[in-house]
Amino acid sequence: MRTTGALAAAVCTLMLAGASTAAEGDLTLGVPTALGTIEGQDSLRSAQLAAQEINAAGGVEVGGKKRRLEIVSIDTREAEAGIPVFDALAAMEKLIAEKKPVAIVVGAFRSEVLLSAMDMIAKVKIPYLCTIGMSPDFEKKIAGEYEKYKFNFRLGLSAPYLVGNLGHMLDSVKKKYGTDKVYFVHQDVAWAKGTVAGLSKVLAAGGWKVVGSDAYPTGARDFSSSLTKAKFGSAQVLVPVFDMPESGVLVKQVHSMKVPALVAGFISPAAPATAWATFSGDIDGLVNFLFEPGSIPLATPRSQHFTEAYAKAYGEAARNKLSGHGPGPSYDAVFVLADAIRRAGSTQADAVVAELEKTDTQGAIGKIVFNKTHQVIYGEDPTQAAVSLAFQWRAGKRRLVYPEAVAEGAFELPGK
Amino acid sequence: MKVLIVSTLIYGLVQGATLMLTALGFSLTFGLSGVANFAHGGLYLLSGFLAWALVNRLGMPFPLAAAATVLLVALLGAAVYRLVLRPVRGITLSEVISTFALGVALIEGFRWRGFTTYDFSLPPFWPGEVEIAGVSVDRQRLAIVGAGFLLPLALWAFTHHTRVGLALRGMAQDETTALAMGIDSDWAATLSLSLGAGLAAVAAVLLLPLGIISINTGYEVLLVALAVTVLGGLESTAGMIVGSLLIGFAVVITGNFVGPHLSEVVYLGALVLVLGLKPSGLLGRSKEIEERV
Repeated sequence: MRTTGALAAAVCTLMLAGASTAAEGDLTLGVPTALGTIEGQDSLRSAQLAAQEINAAGGVEVGGKKRRLEIVSIDTREAEAGIPVFDALAAMEKLIAEKKPVAIVVGAFRSEVLLSAMDMIAKVKIPYLCTIGMSPDFEKKIAGEYEKYKFNFRLGLSAPYLVGNLGHMLDSVKKKYGTDKVYFVHQDVAWAKGTVAGLSKVLAAGGWKVVGSDAYPTGARDFSSSLTKAKFGSAQVLVPVFDMPESGVLVKQVHSMKVPALVAGFISPAAPATAWATFSGDIDGLVNFLFEPGSIPLATPRSQHFTEAYAKAYGEAARNKLSGHGPGPSYDAVFVLADAIRRAGSTQADAVVAELEKTDTQGAIGKIVFNKTHQVIYGEDPTQAAVSLAFQWRAGKRRLVYPEAVAEGAFELPGK
Repeated sequence: MKVLIVSTLIYGLVQGATLMLTALGFSLTFGLSGVANFAHGGLYLLSGFLAWALVNRLGMPFPLAAAATVLLVALLGAAVYRLVLRPVRGITLSEVISTFALGVALIEGFRWRGFTTYDFSLPPFWPGEVEIAGVSVDRQRLAIVGAGFLLPLALWAFTHHTRVGLALRGMAQDETTALAMGIDSDWAATLSLSLGAGLAAVAAVLLLPLGIISINTGYEVLLVALAVTVLGGLESTAGMIVGSLLIGFAVVITGNFVGPHLSEVVYLGALVLVLGLKPSGLLGRSKEIEERV
């Protein structure tokens, strides 16, 4: 017991030392995330790219002195089966204790880890700019205990915004084609279940009829049950919500079972530019949601610059495989943080938080402004807010179809 | 309703055949040599990436790449016995730990080397779809059903009607007598590991074209193989076939008439129920023999 106490004291001392002595030398930014996932890997690379660009321009000016950014990362493995929240937090704690970052960017992959990480951040008091975890409880915690959780900010899409944007997108299909019968197929995990529950309410209020809704356990490889019921229940739109690689089977099975519905939702394996080749064209007509710009850039200079710089730094093949969730906000997070530190003239957390709250800038994901609960505001016009995108696969190309402000064309129903 | 019943029959059969192919290599190796090859999932995943590399890096036609993959992985299975298992042969716990470690090393090695993107897919052997009583099904799934039923039959013929197969069975039934008859124990175990690994590769090249190759498949395949083999009866290939069909149909019936989210509950529930009623599995006899002794 005595040894455990001594160890705990040592860790606390290291943490406190980290928080107070990080002002010396380079500014260290920590990236504790699930590096075994595409989202985690691409987000780390995007943050590193931003740091390199800032360093190439001389670094961040803090109190009249230019300081370079250094990114340090640790794999929390939180997306792997059987890894408990505790292990992911231990990895983050290790990084904070050993590397003494002045802030965290990217952060947790899973919502459960994100919510627990907020409590750790409340103790070490350093800014935490997350870009992947989507739980709505993130904002509830900040709204409930602002002083405790004010160090946390989110640049990535949140679950409520995802529901709203998906709802708008499907309504625009309804307006154009009169479709009103929807079937949900989703992964049996918290974020996907929450998204479908919210979306069901939004669509029902908009006059849609929900033909069916099925949850599949992670790793499922046969979707014939839902596809048969969707096909013979005359569903006009099939909404998949999955972030598991096995959902690639669903994409192929929709094609092989000849389901005559518009498939419009989120299937992570169908998002990259390389997916057409991977699925041998079986994804023709599929509408896929990109949580944030990045994999496909906006027409704005900042967004275009990000993807071009990414291709230059990591190769064209890496750009073509960019994930639809994480990279854009992660790139922006480093710039937003660096700018807040510069304006604060210090790395002192309270001062940086105050400046982060005043952020109003154009990034790769559109306009970046935080709401009162530290969530970047998402909307439909990139000059006014950050945006999500939807594209439709047509003849090997990803054509933007949502939001209207950036669309390259209209949705096309199957067989059109 | 008629369409849903037809769909249940077709996809239940497909699901059963899928489970059968997934577990066949594991079941065969255990039945012939008594070795529970916990590297089965790792070998399955390796086969998928190897076939992908042969097609996409060396430009081989897929059927040729698939055949080469089966051959190479079968050779690797033999090497696994010689290098990993022989030193610990007979120490069951060490056999399990060493094969499990090898499987984890293979799977995590791929993760470490960045095989986590969504780019890895294999083409089907038999592209296109057919319609059966109003239900559309792709030909690759029909090929899986065919292979799922033909392969166990071929293996049954091999182990019952060839000298090599009879020798392997003899070794499985009574090692001392088999040794007295001049059958080399190491040779038999090497061959059974090789056959099991080759069958893992056959499953990979048949099943992976349905989707994309993902790292966690390695773990899932091992769990499915274990569950199906235990359900059917550890040393019984016939039990494994019956168990696969039982679980396959249970999963599809649950998905069609209750909800797919309960399919895993049904599948694990079936496992618990069968083992509760019949501890040796559906057609296994190990517990009964042990009790009789």
